[in-house]
Amino acid sequence: MSHHAVRRLILVGLMLALSALITVINPVFLSSGNLLKLLQEAAQTGIVAVGFTFVMITAGIDMSIGGVVAVTSMVCINFLHYTKVPIPVLVFLSLFVGALTGLVNGFFITKYKLPEFIVTLATRSILAGLALVIAVKDSLGFVQNVYIQNDSYLWFGTSGLFGIYRTTVAFLILGVGAQIFLKHTRTGTNIYATGANPTAARLTGIDTDRTTIGVYMFSGICASLAAVFISSRMMTAMPELGLGSEMDVIASVVIGGTAFSGGVGDVWGTMLGSLFLALIKNGILKTGISPWIQPIAIGGIIVVTVIVDVWQKKLREHLEARAKLKRLSAERGRDAA
Amino acid sequence: MNKKPIATELRLAVVLVPLMAVLSVLSPRFLTLDNLTNVVWSVCLIGILSSGAIYPRITGGIDLSLGSTAALSGIVVDLFMNRMGIPWIPSILMTVVIGALVGLFNGFIVAKIKIPAFVVTMAAKTYLYGIALVVSQGAMLAILEPRPFILISTGRFLGLPNPIYIMVALAVTSQFVLRRTAFGRQVMAVGSNEVAARLSGVDPDRVRLISYTISGGTSAVGGVILASLTQQVFAAAASGIELDVMTALVIGGTSAVGGRGSVLGALIGAIMVAFIINGLNLMNIPAPFHPIVTGSVIILALLLNEGYLVPKRRTLSRA
Amino acid sequence: MTKVENGADLLLECRSITKSYSGHVVLDAVDFSVRRGEVHALVGENGAGKSTLIKIVTGATGRDSGEMVYDGTVVPMEHLRRDAEALGIAVIYQELSLIPGMTVAQNIFLGKEPLRPLTRLIDVRKMNDQARELIDRYNFPLKPTDLIDNISIAQRQLVEILKALSGKASIMIMDEPTSSLTKTEVEMLFKIIALLKSEGISVLYISHRMEEVYALSDRVTVLRDGKLVKVLDKEEISPEEIIRLMIGHKLEEKAVQHELTPKGGKVVLEVRGLTSVGKFEDLSFDLHEGEVLGIGGLVGSGRTELVRALYGADSFDAGTIRYLGKEWVPSVRKSIEGGIGFIPEERRLQGILATQSITRNIGIPNLDLIAPRGIVSVKEEDRRAARGIELLNVKPPRPEQLVGNLSGGNQQKVVLAKWLVRDLKLIFIDEPTVGIDIGAKEEIYDHIRALSARGVSVLLVSSDLPELTRLSDRVIVLRQGRFFQEFRECVLTGEKILRAASGIREGDDE
Repeated sequence: MSHHAVRRLILVGLMLALSALITVINPVFLSSGNLLKLLQEAAQTGIVAVGFTFVMITAGIDMSIGGVVAVTSMVCINFLHYTKVPIPVLVFLSLFVGALTGLVNGFFITKYKLPEFIVTLATRSILAGLALVIAVKDSLGFVQNVYIQNDSYLWFGTSGLFGIYRTTVAFLILGVGAQIFLKHTRTGTNIYATGANPTAARLTGIDTDRTTIGVYMFSGICASLAAVFISSRMMTAMPELGLGSEMDVIASVVIGGTAFSGGVGDVWGTMLGSLFLALIKNGILKTGISPWIQPIAIGGIIVVTVIVDVWQKKLREHLEARAKLKRLSAERGRDAA
Repeated sequence: MNKKPIATELRLAVVLVPLMAVLSVLSPRFLTLDNLTNVVWSVCLIGILSSGAIYPRITGGIDLSLGSTAALSGIVVDLFMNRMGIPWIPSILMTVVIGALVGLFNGFIVAKIKIPAFVVTMAAKTYLYGIALVVSQGAMLAILEPRPFILISTGRFLGLPNPIYIMVALAVTSQFVLRRTAFGRQVMAVGSNEVAARLSGVDPDRVRLISYTISGGTSAVGGVILASLTQQVFAAAASGIELDVMTALVIGGTSAVGGRGSVLGALIGAIMVAFIINGLNLMNIPAPFHPIVTGSVIILALLLNEGYLVPKRRTLSRA
Repeated sequence: MTKVENGADLLLECRSITKSYSGHVVLDAVDFSVRRGEVHALVGENGAGKSTLIKIVTGATGRDSGEMVYDGTVVPMEHLRRDAEALGIAVIYQELSLIPGMTVAQNIFLGKEPLRPLTRLIDVRKMNDQARELIDRYNFPLKPTDLIDNISIAQRQLVEILKALSGKASIMIMDEPTSSLTKTEVEMLFKIIALLKSEGISVLYISHRMEEVYALSDRVTVLRDGKLVKVLDKEEISPEEIIRLMIGHKLEEKAVQHELTPKGGKVVLEVRGLTSVGKFEDLSFDLHEGEVLGIGGLVGSGRTELVRALYGADSFDAGTIRYLGKEWVPSVRKSIEGGIGFIPEERRLQGILATQSITRNIGIPNLDLIAPRGIVSVKEEDRRAARGIELLNVKPPRPEQLVGNLSGGNQQKVVLAKWLVRDLKLIFIDEPTVGIDIGAKEEIYDHIRALSARGVSVLLVSSDLPELTRLSDRVIVLRQGRFFQEFRECVLTGEKILRAASGIREGDDE
């Protein structure tokens, strides 16, 4: 069995074990109400994480996702508060915000070869400021808490069949679609190639710049999409929405097996990772452990996961090198004979 | 004597003067002693942190846990002094050591286990925040004593606030280490070409270990200063300061890929950023615009640094 | 010199190709042609122009002048890689262009995967089937679903070949394809080349290995110093003849030869049975005080690996070393402190700190002298830098100059300077004058001779045969990681070295 599959299995096993443990401490955990909420939480982070996965596969990083969520939610609030724009148009505009951000990020990264990390941090800053600027304010200039009343918009955050939240459904559809795209289209293959060996990819004629810009745009779009669902469910939004959620997204992707070095990972892993993360967070809440443990847990899990990944890789490479040497000396022995 | 050409620092300082002129024209209140003293605090904090954070940066890495380490340090020093009754000087020393150990831990994972620096320090930023929450019990604690501790940041010496002296001392020391010690040479070498450095007898792992340790130590110092200044500590203190430090370093000429950098340049960068923000404040431009400006400034500085936009005559070294 | 070819026969025809890089003429009116369905070898020493010619054919770089006709089509001056691919020109790169994490089939069809008609999704089954077809047709030991990461270098090469074939290539260009292959794998490759030939696909084969060239080629083109020397037909091909043409000299010049007079005296370095698995095996030799010991051999014969191990940059698996009479387990630190220097093979990647000044570059291995207690004595640092600049005649003689902006020759001078300002007893030099102008070359040679005269021992690795011949007191030739032949007390020529490196023993003259 490939090591990816083993990893997934371990993850699932861990999740089951943890669930069992949490249920023992607090049976409420296993109630349908809680589980549905848990799935919804996973979906909110997960939608962003799907886009982020694409970026990471190209060995990039997008720190601006929090800013995209913030700005998008403010855009929506504004349109809902001041205009009567039809909801589909509003959603399209929201996604456009994310796409534009991704385009700008991708541009600076590919054309000027500026370091991804700092560039996306900078755009995050700019977006955070923009969110505050365009936030709906009262007569005194303080940010107003606008309550969304548009039923069509609120539809996104509600639950549907079997009580499953629409966010969760969107997450699943997005996830499946993204996975198929990644693994079964030429562009998806190009994404992997760009991350795994950009020189070879270019030699084969793949436009790595275009691919890079594309994944950053997709990451932005996913963040915007999440913003719509989140603000819909909360029925309001503040300009800080999403800022600070970066670690959750990164944790989901890393737990799912996507590496910072690029070329590996897929959406299934990220979806599992999002679920795992939501489980941890929900579990911490339900078992009454101090909520302060959460950042420690998330940061710790990221470090541990990455270290384990590196060791695993080193171990595999070591075993491979040994096998290769054995083969080499066996052949040399035969040659000499 | 190292005959230097026009150093980056000089060039930056030269930009600073017209900047100040422009700002004072746009807002007459800018050049008042009162106003400038306000700017001083943020410059000091960024300056202190930059003095240490420049080391990991030059080696091609990055330390994103600056803010969390600083916040935790404030909480810890308060713990030592006010809850454990340890005198303030040993408390501060122990806190700085703890900060250095945090940095050492980061450095170990980066150097020996070879995990990318931004992952390691970003995760550290998160779990250190959690630890800070636990130690402080999520509360914002007021530090009202011991008096000498408070005076560290609030006191003045010869008319200038103490933190200025501390920042200058640290910055000058750091610049000295970078420019005039064997270790500093090794740091620059590792940043420039790790392979060549290794073949010349440098141990890049050791250099990185020490670099992150220094960064952790200065973060702790910054946290102590901040605690003394604001007389309160909480887990989210100094959050987001990493970006300001990064901006200051980039403006100051620290290369994005490593191998070039200047502490004094970073100081001037910090001053520039603080001036710009202060100027925006005085012009009554609302707070939200500030991060927009800083974000754009970083990108601009990066572009200039890497030689785009304006052709650079970069044939002579700044060393 | 070249016979006029029958037009219809020729797949590729190049006439009077000229190319210069910043004033330096790399190819000088070279005529070159490849017939349909032939195996054609392109040989010449390093710097003879082979790679440049190939780059021009594959569109990786442009020619300055000359005509090129491929398969009846005139190739324009702006000839790009994708144009070459479209024409049917395929290259097997030395650093293979495969994507890790993907399967054999995925790599073969990268960028042109078969799609399902309606959904435009990749038809994985069809892709695997088509891959299998190709694999079976040539009987390669591969499976379409094998992960690239898990197969051997030889197998990866096969995947590269299939990748080229799937693009309907009519010529396959292979650049030193056998450097990482075992003997069995090489035989396999030969069979494949024969197979390609039988299908009417031409193979352009670049190699240093005479026995391969001899076994495979229908014709051989020999380049020297950017010019065409001769095109040999099958009956004329022999390793000795090829070497003779490769080295050969203009009638006005005398052949570079050197009377070897080995030095006796104190043994500075004693190496016994040194082995590094996969790199070199059972190497033993002595190095005397003030001696210049040349190490010859083809690319991949283990020379660089040997000096790196001796310097302490890499570890080794077995054998002993004695330095100045004492047992010695090398490390870079120990070597430097013990008076040993090292000039690495790749100047840009390993030798210089490009973003740092000359002063810093010279200073970096000398920190024990410049900063004995940790603090740098700027005076001392400047003094050494000035001495280094003066000694080596670095131009421009400005200590703050960024080394990355110096010319190649001056960069190498800086690399050498950092050792010359120390008390050296021994220095390892690996390819000292690659890509350096004549003037600087001679200056560096003078310094090497001066070192030797001063009593410093030199271990010199070089692929530049005249250089190796002129400078060495004694030469050892390695072949495939093992000791092959030693030259001492004789008249040495570059030809002799190359013959030994190619496995031809002295006395085998056919």
